Amino acid sequence: MVKVGFYQGCCFQGQDAHMFETMKEMFEKIDVEVVLLEETTCCGGNTIDEENRKLSYAINARNIALAEREGLDMLVSCNTCYMVIAKAKRALDTNKKLRDEINALLKEEGLEYRGTSRIYHLLDFFRDVVGYDRIRKAVKRPLKGWKVAAYYGCHVLYPKEIAVDNSDNPSSLQEILKALGAEVIDEYEGKDACCGYHSFFTDKSMTLKKLNRILGGVKKVGADIVATPCPLCFKSFDIYQTNMENSPKVPSSFLPEIMAYAFGIDKEKAGLAHHLIKVEKE
Amino acid sequence: METAVLQVFRYDPEKDQTPYYKEYEVPVEGTLLNALLYIKDNLDPTLAFRAFCRSEVCGSCSMRVNGKTKLACKTPMKELVETWKGKPLRIDPLNHLKVIKDLVVDIDKPIEKMKTLIPWLVPDPRVVPTDPMHESIIYPEEMEAYKDQIHCMLCFSCYSACEAVEDNDRYRGPFAFSKAYRFQVDRRDIETAKEKRIRYAISGGLWSCVQCQKCLYVCPKGVKPAEDIQNLRGQAVKKGFTDKPGAKKLKHFVDWIYATGQINRLYLPEEVYGNREAREKLTKAYTEMGVEVWEVPKPTKGLMKFRDIYLEILSKEDKALDLDFSHVRKIDRMVSEIFKADICTIIDRAHEEGRSSRGLISKLKGLLGGK
Repeated sequence: MVKVGFYQGCCFQGQDAHMFETMKEMFEKIDVEVVLLEETTCCGGNTIDEENRKLSYAINARNIALAEREGLDMLVSCNTCYMVIAKAKRALDTNKKLRDEINALLKEEGLEYRGTSRIYHLLDFFRDVVGYDRIRKAVKRPLKGWKVAAYYGCHVLYPKEIAVDNSDNPSSLQEILKALGAEVIDEYEGKDACCGYHSFFTDKSMTLKKLNRILGGVKKVGADIVATPCPLCFKSFDIYQTNMENSPKVPSSFLPEIMAYAFGIDKEKAGLAHHLIKVEKE
Repeated sequence: METAVLQVFRYDPEKDQTPYYKEYEVPVEGTLLNALLYIKDNLDPTLAFRAFCRSEVCGSCSMRVNGKTKLACKTPMKELVETWKGKPLRIDPLNHLKVIKDLVVDIDKPIEKMKTLIPWLVPDPRVVPTDPMHESIIYPEEMEAYKDQIHCMLCFSCYSACEAVEDNDRYRGPFAFSKAYRFQVDRRDIETAKEKRIRYAISGGLWSCVQCQKCLYVCPKGVKPAEDIQNLRGQAVKKGFTDKPGAKKLKHFVDWIYATGQINRLYLPEEVYGNREAREKLTKAYTEMGVEVWEVPKPTKGLMKFRDIYLEILSKEDKALDLDFSHVRKIDRMVSEIFKADICTIIDRAHEEGRSSRGLISKLKGLLGGK
């Protein structure tokens, strides 16, 4: 049994608490215990950086320090949280002055950033810790006949310093989907485009154009569903798609959901039953 | 000798009706630029591409390999072959630019766009001596603020890879914002010019950047345009340009994270777009689905100390007043109103309830006498 600290960010609590439950249950099937890092806060969503980068580093030094206190590595699902936290870790590990300054503040809460915990995203955690084989063996309901379009999202591939896969030609998501028995589609128009999630509240027209490109591309190649390891990309696909004038109505899945489904967890518990764009495929 | 096949984009507008690809077998050694020079020297002297320094200085040989923007002289052939695992290597000119011939593109448009952001020094006479016999001294620690940005060599890699350029023709381009930012943090530049740059940056699409980070990835010189854009956004808000949705989003993040440790997605549409209906609709939809609605995030243990850390950093950076304390008090009142208790009591009780997440808010309301 592997034990790892799970960073929830804003995507796995409140109205979205069920997404954490799905994740937890799915991980149990592949012998991973995910421990919720309770006292962590929002990573700043790459937006606090606009206010002040040092504030972003401090918030995330505290988040990482909470995993270190438990003696656990940190697992992040959200691409943006992953990038922001990994960038902070890089800054803290390479700049002693910054680390000392922030540690002086963390001391008040009895915390210290030491740099001992590794930060994983779902993709490299599945590849390097769990292994594709273990995923394959856990499959009870192979996704036979599912044509699944693989969508990575940006913040696991760029910038290079924090990328979890080959940024130009990544393969981990396809490998996971293959292990689930799905027919993987990784060539379609818009596969590299940004999902538009972050521009919804800065320039909404961008979001809708991005969705049009990606989901239009997914539809054109005849995929049944698009799967992404990032909960924000998933929200953009499922929720913001309903804001489109001529919505292509492409169903989407947050990766752990179809994994849970393939591992034999029912559609309701896997979270696939509650999407705004219905997942019809059985 | 190991070889690879390059499928190179060919187009001569004077002769060709449409572009086409021509295949060349090249040795897998040295860089992509070496391969192109090999073609020109040995296989086909008609191929047009720009290259000069061969050593990552002039920025003229940027192009795309299988859609990904690369500087040819910095890209080893071996790496390309390994990355694309035997797939053919398709060489295209830069994206978003008009093709003059083959891999040569017209860069006038992004240059003109860049000029609108005043990418030059407008000297402040109080700092820069007007007497030409006196030097204007820059200290090394001042250089820190723009030591990366000055390396931009106008290769337009970021312009080619940019997601905002792709969907907003007015968007000035990542490099242009980095060029502008470089003078925003230069002590010698006059305040009125800084103000103007922000205004022009906003009309040039400052808030259209999607923060995909592709510009950081493709920049051969380590410039970080997306981060400079974040800095410019911060400056815009600080200078009072607070009417754009993006500025309101930033305010939401700064205040809510301080107050609760989290953003509040339920209130985001209302605080950014004045869209109250969105919250009501969401609340109704969640209730119908049987999902508990959290009007506020779970107040976590350590929140008060988290606030101290937050405020201390902002104070040190001379930004403590960026926090809208009346907004924070409003959030505090809202939290107390929901639970019928003060924030510290709520934190303690929330902590006692430990790891439960589903049903937590209603449980707390029950325990504390909230509605």
